[in-house]
Amino acid sequence: MIVKVENVSKAYYKIPVIREMSLDIERGERIVILGPSGCGKTTFLRMIAGFIPPDKGRLVIDGQTVADNGKSIIAPESRQVGMVFQDLALWPHMTSYKNIEFGLKAKRIPKTERKGRIDTILEKIQMVQFKNAYPGELSGGQQQRIALARALVTHPKILLMDEPLSSLDADLRQVLLREILRLQEELAITMIYVTHDREEAFSLATRIVVMKEGKIQKTGTVSQIKEWL
Amino acid sequence: MAKRLTLYITIFLFVGIGFVPVIVMFLKSFFVDDGFSLNTYGTLFQSNREWKLLFNTLSLAGATTFITVLLGVPLGTLFAKTDLPLRRFFTVIFIIPLLIPSYILAIAWFYCLGRAGIVACVLGEATGILTSNLLFSFAGTLFVMVSALLPIVIILTMTYLRMVNPDMEEAALLHCSWPVALRRITLPLISPGIALGALITFILTLAEFGVPSFLRFDVYSVESFTRLSAFYDFDSTTAAAVPLGVITIVVLIIERLFLRRKTFVFRTMGSENEMVIVPLGESKSYFLVVVSILVFIFVIAPLCVLLCKSLSPSAYSEAFIRSTGSIMRSLLYASVGATCLVIFGFFLGYILDRKILRFSYAADSIAVFLFALPGAVIGIGLSGLWNTQGTNFIYTSMVIIIFGYIAQYTALGERVMAATFPYVSRSMEEAAQIAGAGWYRRIFKVLVPLVKRGMIATWLICFIFCLRDVGITMMVYPPGHDTLPVRTFTLMANSPDNVISALCVIMIMITLLPLCGLGLVKKYIT
Ligand SMILES: Nc1ncnc2c1ncn2[C@@H]1O[C@H](COP(=O)(O)OP(=O)(O)OP(=O)(O)O)[C@@H](O)[C@H]1O
Ligand SMILES: [Mg+2]
Repeated sequence: MIVKVENVSKAYYKIPVIREMSLDIERGERIVILGPSGCGKTTFLRMIAGFIPPDKGRLVIDGQTVADNGKSIIAPESRQVGMVFQDLALWPHMTSYKNIEFGLKAKRIPKTERKGRIDTILEKIQMVQFKNAYPGELSGGQQQRIALARALVTHPKILLMDEPLSSLDADLRQVLLREILRLQEELAITMIYVTHDREEAFSLATRIVVMKEGKIQKTGTVSQIKEWL
Repeated sequence: MAKRLTLYITIFLFVGIGFVPVIVMFLKSFFVDDGFSLNTYGTLFQSNREWKLLFNTLSLAGATTFITVLLGVPLGTLFAKTDLPLRRFFTVIFIIPLLIPSYILAIAWFYCLGRAGIVACVLGEATGILTSNLLFSFAGTLFVMVSALLPIVIILTMTYLRMVNPDMEEAALLHCSWPVALRRITLPLISPGIALGALITFILTLAEFGVPSFLRFDVYSVESFTRLSAFYDFDSTTAAAVPLGVITIVVLIIERLFLRRKTFVFRTMGSENEMVIVPLGESKSYFLVVVSILVFIFVIAPLCVLLCKSLSPSAYSEAFIRSTGSIMRSLLYASVGATCLVIFGFFLGYILDRKILRFSYAADSIAVFLFALPGAVIGIGLSGLWNTQGTNFIYTSMVIIIFGYIAQYTALGERVMAATFPYVSRSMEEAAQIAGAGWYRRIFKVLVPLVKRGMIATWLICFIFCLRDVGITMMVYPPGHDTLPVRTFTLMANSPDNVISALCVIMIMITLLPLCGLGLVKKYIT
């Protein structure tokens, strides 16, 4: 088991946003969290990433307790998770290459190895020719790929994605979904993907978690959820 | 952890440097002869003079604010939103008075309207006495304060106009003409900016020391200074400072209650689209004439008077002989001050924008309170606290001046930086954090590069405010550490007019030169 969420709750200004959520995630799974706007999906993801501590409950990543009873024990920078943000959050003052390299530098990985890893991942996402471009010079889909590469290049234990495709048009979304799927299978990485789009969930998930008002309403495989809905 | 530690240390240092002296001064005033007593305040508002001071202070601040808004909003609108010819030139010229110590304008008008001034020479002695009486009165002080602070409202109006989403105006233009759209849509949208301008004008007038002191108009900030320099009596000085502190706090509470939320609502409507320009059409020349007259009265006339008055080689050589050291010190202290202020502003602005610490508003309130508090009051607090055997190295060096700058102007740095941070979305930082970067790497590799322009702007603004400071420096400067504005002010009593004029012109030049230089560099790069 790579992620264990135990009775986690979170409230903002006394209004509960996450209520007593529990969830176990196995290594290599593609979990899609599906739910309407405002049900707490982003909050849940940010708790796993470590940006906000849960008010109650326990979070375990890869056997290590990262947050317990209102306290964050391990900071986001040490949790070894990768994340693709809804607004991508590419740093506009760095080229694609520098964006991807940032995490490797922070982890003090030697230059030659950095270069090798970046070249590999750029090839995987077919963006080699854009490595010296700034984010502002890239199209939406290209930026998306760079954000994905940046999240993956540090070999995180889990990849978190918060509606990463919501700003793209339908065709491009299909293309990128397939690509994400391919990459995930290649790297055998555990993925938690947040969306409110059913089709996206069905085409991506090995398991779907349906959320409503801060609670898990139902968990199951794609066919189970399709039937239930 | 490193993050919290840095932020707490910043707050701790700021409060220690800026707030503690004022608090200690206030508390000390309750202990007369080793016992608790209210004696210090026994005389407060007992005499007619005190009531007059209060009345003068409030009416000057109120009238200055009213007229500044009345003139500044239309001017700002003309400069930012219309096709008025020469509007960039006008903007630049109108801003000059804000960049220099305000008392320089008072000097210029004195040379023009005083008993032996230009007017008296041309129109005769009787007229001279009349104009002189006018200048050394409420009306004269008001006029000089308006010309000094008008730029604040103009700048804020222009800034907020640029942030208005043009769609909103265009939506209105489908139904009405420009004057109506401006009045019904645009002005309400920028009302938080206008209110902010009014607030700053009011507070800066309260705190102004140079102009009322020169024009012998009795207000509280002058009173504090006089009591300290004439009697060296800390307690009665504090007593004179308390009403100002109280007024300041009241004004700030009003701001908290009414302005904060509106500002927030407004910010979310910002847009990067081009602004819609209003065509002035046939009335263009009419507006041009009015604006030209205003710019002449408020800025060009006084500056020309100084320039003409100073025009002789001997005046300038004399001025340089008397002030070279002060010029160098001014530049040095202002640079060091601005650099410290950028650092404080960076972290405090970050705390304010991201609301990460529970008492982020408390730190902001203290900063704004100190900004609003007259420099003379802060100066008294600083001298009182550091004038001891053990801390002489602070009291007798430039450090105490820098402390004064930090105390008074941190709010500037903080607010400008806080206005910059929203442009860096939280996720930019979080992305760096999750990539494994610690706090310092996030600061230097992500935050600083992304807010670099805001930091440069902050530095320049703080530099100018430190450079033009009179209130604090006058109070705390150790012997041999005076700055140019202070030197000019003290030389005024016993130097020829042309030397004083030359000193004022030099002061204006050293303020404007760095700005012009920067403008040229920017033009060259882009
Ligand atoms: N920093 C915050 N302060 C106060 N309330 C918040 C904060 N962040 C989230 N909330 C509230 O928590 C609830 C859940 O928000 P969250 O962003 O997790 O929803 P979401 O499921 O991701 O929605 P969406 O699909 O629109 O992104 C919302 O009602 C929101 O108003
Ligand atoms: Mg969300």
